[in-house]
Amino acid sequence: MNRRQFFAVSGSAAGGLIVAWSLPGCASTATRRSFKPNGFVQIDPDGQVTITAKNPDMGQGVKTSLPMYVAEELDADWANVRVVQADLNRDLYGGQGSGGSDNTPSEWQRLHEAGAIARALLVTAAAQRWGVAAAECETEPGFVTHRASGKRADYGSLAADAARLPVPKTPPPLKDPAQYRLIGTKVGGVDVPAIVRGTPLYGIDVRVPGMLHAAVERCPVHGGQPGRVDAARALAVPGVKQVVTLTGLENPTHLRPGVAVVADSSWAAEQGRKALSITWDEGAGAGESSARLLQQFRELEATGNLKTIRTAGDVDRAWRATTTRVDLTFEQPLLAHATLEPQNCTAHVHDGRCEIWGPLQMPTSGSTVIAAAVGLPVEAVTIHITRLGGGFGRRLLSDYAAEAAVVSKLVGAPVQVLWSREDDMHHDYYRPAGFHHVRAGLDSHGRLSVWHHRLITLSRNRYRKATNGPEMTEIYGLLVPQSTDPKDTYDPDLVPTRIPNCRLDYGDFATTVPTGAWRAPAHNFNAFVIESVLDELARRGRIDPVALRADYLGDRAVIPVTMDTPVPYDPRREQDVLRLALDQAEWQRPLPPHWGRGWAAHYTFGSYAAIVAEVSVEGNRLAVERLVAALDVGLPVNPLTLEAQTQGGALDGLSAALFGEITIDQGRTVQSSFDGYRLLRNAEAPDVEVHITPSREKPMGYGEIALPPVAPAVANAIFQATGRRITRLP
Amino acid sequence: MSSFTLSVNGSARTVDVAPDTPLLWVLRDTLNMRGTKFGCGRGFCGACTVHLDGVATRSCLTPIASAAGRAVTTIEGLGTSTLHPLQQAWIDEDVPQCGYCQAGQLMTAAALLAKTPHPSDGEIVAAMSGNLCRCATYVRIRRAVRRASQAVAG
Repeated sequence: MNRRQFFAVSGSAAGGLIVAWSLPGCASTATRRSFKPNGFVQIDPDGQVTITAKNPDMGQGVKTSLPMYVAEELDADWANVRVVQADLNRDLYGGQGSGGSDNTPSEWQRLHEAGAIARALLVTAAAQRWGVAAAECETEPGFVTHRASGKRADYGSLAADAARLPVPKTPPPLKDPAQYRLIGTKVGGVDVPAIVRGTPLYGIDVRVPGMLHAAVERCPVHGGQPGRVDAARALAVPGVKQVVTLTGLENPTHLRPGVAVVADSSWAAEQGRKALSITWDEGAGAGESSARLLQQFRELEATGNLKTIRTAGDVDRAWRATTTRVDLTFEQPLLAHATLEPQNCTAHVHDGRCEIWGPLQMPTSGSTVIAAAVGLPVEAVTIHITRLGGGFGRRLLSDYAAEAAVVSKLVGAPVQVLWSREDDMHHDYYRPAGFHHVRAGLDSHGRLSVWHHRLITLSRNRYRKATNGPEMTEIYGLLVPQSTDPKDTYDPDLVPTRIPNCRLDYGDFATTVPTGAWRAPAHNFNAFVIESVLDELARRGRIDPVALRADYLGDRAVIPVTMDTPVPYDPRREQDVLRLALDQAEWQRPLPPHWGRGWAAHYTFGSYAAIVAEVSVEGNRLAVERLVAALDVGLPVNPLTLEAQTQGGALDGLSAALFGEITIDQGRTVQSSFDGYRLLRNAEAPDVEVHITPSREKPMGYGEIALPPVAPAVANAIFQATGRRITRLP
Repeated sequence: MSSFTLSVNGSARTVDVAPDTPLLWVLRDTLNMRGTKFGCGRGFCGACTVHLDGVATRSCLTPIASAAGRAVTTIEGLGTSTLHPLQQAWIDEDVPQCGYCQAGQLMTAAALLAKTPHPSDGEIVAAMSGNLCRCATYVRIRRAVRRASQAVAG
């Protein structure tokens, strides 16, 4: 749906707000006299302003920050704004989902326009009432005013009149950013008061009348399926009602096979599941292991046969001519998402319809998967979006919702499927593992003259049987040159821009190990490789790190947009955030003995981030003492969520760098819970200083931006402290 | 199935469940008090933390039989007619991101302040390190506990 179509369906918002389940705060208050010019704004005669958040909030704060755009143009009094979560509504909203730090760049314009249209109609209603020209009227938060006559009307009193006016097809001019009252101010999360009271908000908190609970046992070997199922003991567990078998879908990211135990409580379902006796058909994956994957990576790298993604100059000849060289290999582990709210979903399939309540990152694409799983048209699927207890990319996939729908269909009742932590750890879709080999060097003038990156990974595209290239999920950014002039090409993830001799080769192979997107996909390890190599070059060549960057990235304003970058890349903005982080960290100030300082910068999904890390290393004891972050995300909407996402993203990156590793043995995932899969704890979390570049550029997302530079900044600091180069994480 | 009586947020509640049912599931499924969260079921994450006779306790590892006759406080009972100073500090510092762990964080922090009203930074970190936050809101958690301890000082 384009914007014009979107505005043409104005006036039908209330239908999307009416929900009949038992989480509070969602009921519509619309009356016949409410003003609802589009799917985002509702103003009731009593003055209540309701703004609808269309996309899911998993902690990145969009339920707060995106309605701020609407409220800004509406000139609403934020203290009087109530934010409600939209259901899936194809007609009103087009696509709904949260991923790729895409909410802000995709939505801000139309949210501004939705608020501006509502404001214009309120102004028109007031002008007509007062018999004055609309152009003479102004607004202040919650009121239309007419300066000459001193008249003033609150929005609620104008709602009924505004509701009778035709909604313009084109939005009025938007505010000059200099007039912003709300954007750029610190606004607390709209759900925070409910969260601290323990109010039910999450998928796991959904209760539907007559709802049953299900636990699903899946084959411990990835890619396997149930063979013979003996459910007698499970059915004897008090509270257990039924045991049903799930058949997977062709694409394993849509639905995997399993055996579901359905009971009248989640505890009974779990006890029943433990009493199942299943003979598994383990399939071809039983021999898979982390050691075998690494061996395959190494063999593929050594024996060649990689696909050349791009090439310029002659890397081999240039390599021989370098005076400063780096030749490093890197091992990239599998990572788990480990959302703290385990996967769950509630579904009710009845009368040719499927109703879903759950924590979905991608309700729109999820509805297609769910429909296919239960054999219904996609229009028959209704989704009520709950708050998500974490996402990190795991909930881009809707397999657990498809499970709930299939189980509900099989038992003919509403069902909540709840995964245990062990289910989550054993059956995640992991960040792909991989192996990198980079040769890079400086010529006799100290300029970066060669960059040859050979990258072998598991591929998310291959796992999900996508028809486009397996490399496309593992190397974000420019995948084919945009211009025959190598100076005009830039790859946000793999940097050979103005490097005269550069080559990127990629290889992958099939495996049963499930893979999926993990916060800052591809960037999250590729940045580690790139920034580690650059650091080593700069230190060995004794070159200023910012000067090195300026030399190979150039100083032109823009390098063209690519499929994954919503705004033109500006290398100066990346250099500026690195300079800001270095300055704020006082990077040339001497450190105590056994300390080291390192830094890195990266461009992710349209935003720029740099991190400076200070570490101390004594013997085998590593402590990350300080993290300084600098970001350029365009015009920041809510500094409070930006700071939070920077702190959280940086510490998530640190957690993965220090502890994150899933291993596979005999086709199974070894780690089961937070004992085997460690996450950063409070005592291990340094303070994170956050510095934001003041910017009037287009606003970009910031949920994933701070993460990629953290691991290389820490590794580079360790190198400075010890002379040891870290090439394997954790 | 057996009958157990316990005090939950000051009210006597009688439940009829299997004796090995964890307190967590009695709260969530039997008593429909869904503020206490399930994170791992093995005591590693702390999302299910409640107070048992005033002591921060993992409700996922507490069979209902061992909670019988005792006083349970959950996140729903942390504040009274007004918010607990920690809840207010959590709002003022805008601590939650996804928010899923925060009930457990708050209950752990409340047990700390009940025993040590003015903890040092080291005591805060030590007390709070048993609770995982997957969003890593740790910096703001520390700030909020400090803020609440100062509010208590008045």
